[in-house]
Amino acid sequence: MTATDSRTGRPGGRAGVRPAGYGLIRVKGRGRGGPGGRSGHDLRDRRGGSFLLHRRSALVALGLALATVAVCVAYLCVGESFIAPADAVKAVLHTQWGLGQATPNDLVVGTLRLPRMTLGLMVGAAFGIAGALIQTVARNPLASPDIIGVSQGASAVTVGAMTYGVTSFAVLPYLSVAGGLAAAALVYVFAWRGGLQATRFVLIGIGFAVALRSITHLFLTKGDYLVAQQAKVWMTGSLNGRGWAEAGPLGWALLVLLPGVLWAARAQRTVSLDDDTATALGVRLGRVRLGLVSLGVVLASTATGAAGPVDFVALLAPQIARRMTRTAQIPLLCSALAGAFIVVTADLLARKLFAPTELPVGVLTAAVGAPYLIHLLLSSGGRGRKGGTAA
Amino acid sequence: MTADRTSSRPPRASLVRRRLGWTATAVVALLLATLLSLAVGSRQIAPSAVLDALLHGGSSDAADIVRSLRLPRTVIGLMVGAALAMAGTVMQGVTRNPIADPGILGVSQGASVGVVLAIAFAGVHTLGGYVWFAFAGAGLASVAVYAIASSGRGGATPVKLALSGAAINALLVSVTTGVLTTKAAALDEFRFWQIGSLAGRDTEIVGQIWPFLLVGTVLVIAVARGLDALALGEDVAKGLGQNVAVVRVVAALGATILTGVGVAAAGPLAFVGLAVPHIARAIVGTDHRWVLPMAALIGPVMLLVSDVVGRILFPPSEVPAGVMTALIGVPFLVTLVRRKTVAA
Repeated sequence: MTATDSRTGRPGGRAGVRPAGYGLIRVKGRGRGGPGGRSGHDLRDRRGGSFLLHRRSALVALGLALATVAVCVAYLCVGESFIAPADAVKAVLHTQWGLGQATPNDLVVGTLRLPRMTLGLMVGAAFGIAGALIQTVARNPLASPDIIGVSQGASAVTVGAMTYGVTSFAVLPYLSVAGGLAAAALVYVFAWRGGLQATRFVLIGIGFAVALRSITHLFLTKGDYLVAQQAKVWMTGSLNGRGWAEAGPLGWALLVLLPGVLWAARAQRTVSLDDDTATALGVRLGRVRLGLVSLGVVLASTATGAAGPVDFVALLAPQIARRMTRTAQIPLLCSALAGAFIVVTADLLARKLFAPTELPVGVLTAAVGAPYLIHLLLSSGGRGRKGGTAA
Repeated sequence: MTADRTSSRPPRASLVRRRLGWTATAVVALLLATLLSLAVGSRQIAPSAVLDALLHGGSSDAADIVRSLRLPRTVIGLMVGAALAMAGTVMQGVTRNPIADPGILGVSQGASVGVVLAIAFAGVHTLGGYVWFAFAGAGLASVAVYAIASSGRGGATPVKLALSGAAINALLVSVTTGVLTTKAAALDEFRFWQIGSLAGRDTEIVGQIWPFLLVGTVLVIAVARGLDALALGEDVAKGLGQNVAVVRVVAALGATILTGVGVAAAGPLAFVGLAVPHIARAIVGTDHRWVLPMAALIGPVMLLVSDVVGRILFPPSEVPAGVMTALIGVPFLVTLVRRKTVAA
């Protein structure tokens, strides 16, 4: 093993590793929020079992989960009419599990707010994990699915289908996944030049994103006004008027993808090692990376299919999670929780901010995410990991 | 070519001859593109009839179509194509960055937001009115993108420029969408304009945009030499007696006006400003006094041809020129990025 950490170039990056994965004490002493310089996990983590007990990560996950629950309760209470938390919970219990008495809030809470909130939670979690996987492989926080064209590909295909008369919500998600995968494959193929360089990958992704966005706009002008209005809202990522019809299929899709995510949680660790070490350990790096990226793209496209491209969640959530846990690699569970929290909070605000008009949730996430992207560019954190290879 | 192999560049006479030859070719191409744009459409009109309609008037259907529909569209295409191509050339010169383009850097989106705000809040519905908003938006966006990209280590590398462009783009798109969602009436007026198209623009626009086009062109031509010096590096440019700051400011102002007027007239047309300067440099060399006029000739050719192809691709409906230029532009960007020198 070399004396310098391959990712940060700082000397002694691997020093001070505690056996069996309890790198906690060292972790605290390091600078906050930096891209590397910590060594939370080493090879021995792999022997420690699937769930590494990194105390800080566990605490962060717990905190995020509590915050998400709190926001969810608020989400159910707040709206056109305010419903007391206790009544909201009663309504949920009654409508979902038939417990207790029917309440006058059943319709508002059980039929309008709960499904929409559930969808938001799942979409956020899916984007969070997708972003974490792609950022891990690219070793670059900027390579998120909505910047490299995945979301735009999913949008283009979906809006195209909508304008040509496909209105079945059963079909749209599949088209969306196909579009996202196709876009990612295109970017991958065109960025491949005897290897994959992160900067080239990102630049070509941005180019494709622009072109795909203009194709989406083309479809918008084709359809009649109502379809355009609908598609326009969808395109920005909106949970408005959505319910179990979208949340159900997304839930099943996520369930199907769950084993993949569990695999990814372990495989991710080997990828975050430097290439030589991983290869020496017998890891088939190329395949693992391809698998992780594919999973990320599928997750992002699936979420896009259900709610439209909710911009920047995939960029933000993993970064927030990583900064909170202060681990060298991006924690999947915390990313998922952070994503869910972001989307539900943003949708809550989107509903209330300009009431009675509802903004698409994607407007709010972009309004928060874009400045964060700028901050990433301005701070050295955004550049420290530039040189890495993508996929 | 009879280039002198001992010297690093071809003899001057040969270079001038070559440049003049290419200029003539570009002028011919421009005339052809103009003729195509006037003659081709859902109804084909013979070139002789087109000329007849332009020169002698006449009241036939064909003459009517040419004069009332296709002529304004073509003239606007000529002006906007030239404006965006020159804007792209200047941006690439100022940033010394081969992938600079008003669309990618978010400057067009800035102009768009200006227009949206003008339509939705200021109650401005004429181009003469909202062109100022477009300028303001384009100016703010270009300053922001450049400031973000050039701060920190390494200066404004292609990746940082493209990413800060993407960030500003996303932010501005969310503003646009927020406005359009809350003001549904503006959407219908806006959605056709937003995509970048030459269709359905009336003659008045021509009268309104030419003064701005002229001012922008004068500004960028004025700093052509300064851009040449800048290409050698900031220190060399200073050594050559150029006031680098003035060159940058004037060039940025010119590019902003050209982008703003182009976007206000035809919506954001992506990639014209990216591809054309490279073609121009490939055929006349790096001298901005040649590249700028050449770009002004090739830009309209690209835009008009994109527009014509869009008209005949899926009759009877049209593919807007903005989509066509994007589709033509992407292979260009891919080629540029794949060249080793770019991916810094």
